[in-house]
Amino acid sequence: MLRTLRENRPLQGFLLILPTLVFMVGLLIIPLMLTLVVSFGRRSPDGGVIFTFSLENYLRLLGYERNCPSGEAVCFNPLYLQILWRSITLAFNTTVLVIVLAYPLAYYIARAPARWRTALLFMVLVPMWTNFVIRVYAWMMILRKEGVINLALGWVAHQLGIPFQPLEMLYTPGAVLVGMVYEFLPFMILPIYTSLEKIDLSMYEAAADLGANPWRTFLRVTLPLSMPGVVAGTILVFVPVMGTFVVSDLLGGRQVVLVGNLIQRQFLDARDAPFGSAASLVLMVMTLIVTYFYTRKFGFGEEIIAA
Amino acid sequence: MFKRSLSLFWGLLVVLALALSACGPKPSTPTAAATEVPTAAPQKTEAPTAAPQKYVTSSGFECPQPEPRLEVTSKELNLFVWTEYIPTEWKECFSMVYGVKINHDEYSSNEEMYAKLEKGGTNYDLVQPTDYIVSLMIQKGMLQKLDKSKLFFLENMLPPFMNQPFDPNNEYTVPYQAGTDAIVYNAKTVQTPPQKWADLWNPEYAGRMVFLDDSRVIIGMTLLTLGYDVNTRDPNQLQQAKEKLKQLIPNVKLFDSDSPKTALIAGDVDLGVTWTGEAYLAQQEVPEITYVYPEEGAILWQDNWAIPTGAPHPDAAYAWLNYTMQGNMFWLMLRDFPYINPNKAALEFAKANHPDIYEPYINSPITNPPLEVFEKGHRITDVGEALPLYDQIWTEVKSGQ
Repeated sequence: MLRTLRENRPLQGFLLILPTLVFMVGLLIIPLMLTLVVSFGRRSPDGGVIFTFSLENYLRLLGYERNCPSGEAVCFNPLYLQILWRSITLAFNTTVLVIVLAYPLAYYIARAPARWRTALLFMVLVPMWTNFVIRVYAWMMILRKEGVINLALGWVAHQLGIPFQPLEMLYTPGAVLVGMVYEFLPFMILPIYTSLEKIDLSMYEAAADLGANPWRTFLRVTLPLSMPGVVAGTILVFVPVMGTFVVSDLLGGRQVVLVGNLIQRQFLDARDAPFGSAASLVLMVMTLIVTYFYTRKFGFGEEIIAA
Repeated sequence: MFKRSLSLFWGLLVVLALALSACGPKPSTPTAAATEVPTAAPQKTEAPTAAPQKYVTSSGFECPQPEPRLEVTSKELNLFVWTEYIPTEWKECFSMVYGVKINHDEYSSNEEMYAKLEKGGTNYDLVQPTDYIVSLMIQKGMLQKLDKSKLFFLENMLPPFMNQPFDPNNEYTVPYQAGTDAIVYNAKTVQTPPQKWADLWNPEYAGRMVFLDDSRVIIGMTLLTLGYDVNTRDPNQLQQAKEKLKQLIPNVKLFDSDSPKTALIAGDVDLGVTWTGEAYLAQQEVPEITYVYPEEGAILWQDNWAIPTGAPHPDAAYAWLNYTMQGNMFWLMLRDFPYINPNKAALEFAKANHPDIYEPYINSPITNPPLEVFEKGHRITDVGEALPLYDQIWTEVKSGQ
């Protein structure tokens, strides 16, 4: 028995991937299939699932509405499309802002003396040791009416004798964006740093020899060579932001309904698992489409593995 | 050189990790945290003939004797209760007196509890469902009938809280705590105090309110202002409520069902719709915070104890119910969770032994509302097939379309 195992290479390979395989099939493929089946079902009056084949849930997401205000049998209600669009916009804005903030920092770390790099990277990572939700609560303390920022501004205004009205920062869309950017910044810094750090310094010498000024060197050498990091970071940021709702709940005062909120409410408050399943699958497909076109254009970003 | 700096780095890392773990913020009671009370079970429980042993909790509370003491063979009791909703002394006393280990899971909404139990595979002995979800759980066979011959505290319960429509003969549930959802405002900052639900539409309150993130309560009170039933299933009435509610949204600063008092106390908002306990606690921090029972009638609710079908330790569950519902145990609820207390024995015990806790309770209209509040109040019931419409309206209204 052991002897056959020793000689049978394919079997060895199979045994090695077996745990992962069981894990993926049991916890990813089967649940996904169940979600698919449920998404074609209907909600029973007490909140159970009636298994049929109906496209009603998907049509409802696309704006097909049966409870029309004007009394018609069917009308168009863009509610859920707007929620999807809002989630995409927020994810896009977050990603762009994160790139703008992360790139210079990653560049600075990559160019820092070697003995400092680890320490600097470490400082990027340390905040992540604290629980995600607790860090969001910290932002609430900072942004609220009697929070750190307003207290500091108020003190300065008082010293200068200027009348001061506390700024309304918490429970606004701006607060949600700040929280999102803060939470996902490290996921962009690390892959960009990895690709920047790998750039051979002789490239810069070559660029200088050929008469390129620093700005041109950056555009023609540094930026293209670090693109894999940016791509990887974008995927690591964009995809989770699409489904996140804790940040918008806490910092936005639950005023901003995102697709994550929508799905969560279907499984709890509305007890409408079929509609929630359909919404989850639409979110997944949408994310896949966006990622697909993005990677087709920019490549897959090998740094996603390095990160 | 490199190796040395690396080891230095690891050393630093360890030091930092220790420092962080020592002083870092600890999530003390997050939702669904499974905390366990160690069984400080005495070695010899079999000495009932001698003078009963005295048990004292870590907070110095002397555990009363169970009256009567039930036969318990189970070694464990699995509680599934609301976040921060039972006094810690109960758990310590119960495990010491009965030698039973308590496993304690928490939830923060009825829907969360319902979803978990509905999926099956749980082994809870006691849950705390609120009225509207009780009828649904009974209908679905998720609760077991109570054996009233084992419930010795029933005569302690005040009649207004018994035989509620959701469980007419208390066959499945016993009352735990009751409360209201009503209007709260800060008298220091609000010029025109609201008197009824319809007053909330006052433009003076723009951007100054905290609302429960609860579709049934907020749509329900909107229905009341239109003269409709809080539990209507009529799509036309609901459409009208939606249009009316849309006009109210500019007044809302945030939705929060976890801790609406925080925003009130911090001064981020000046008014809101909240429940008994939150209003009471907010008032203790800021005395100007006032609770108003709206003229159209407040929303009434009641939390209950129930034993799920297939509970593995029903004997321990009955012992827990009898022990904690004793007056000399249940009065702790007055101290820790200022809601409407349905336990007569607890109120009498507190009056005689802890007037400092009893007086504020009985004198506050928040915890001891006038009788007409109950007469005029409205109860939320399950709306069956109309629930997704409520949710869609809620989503639409919040999305600010």
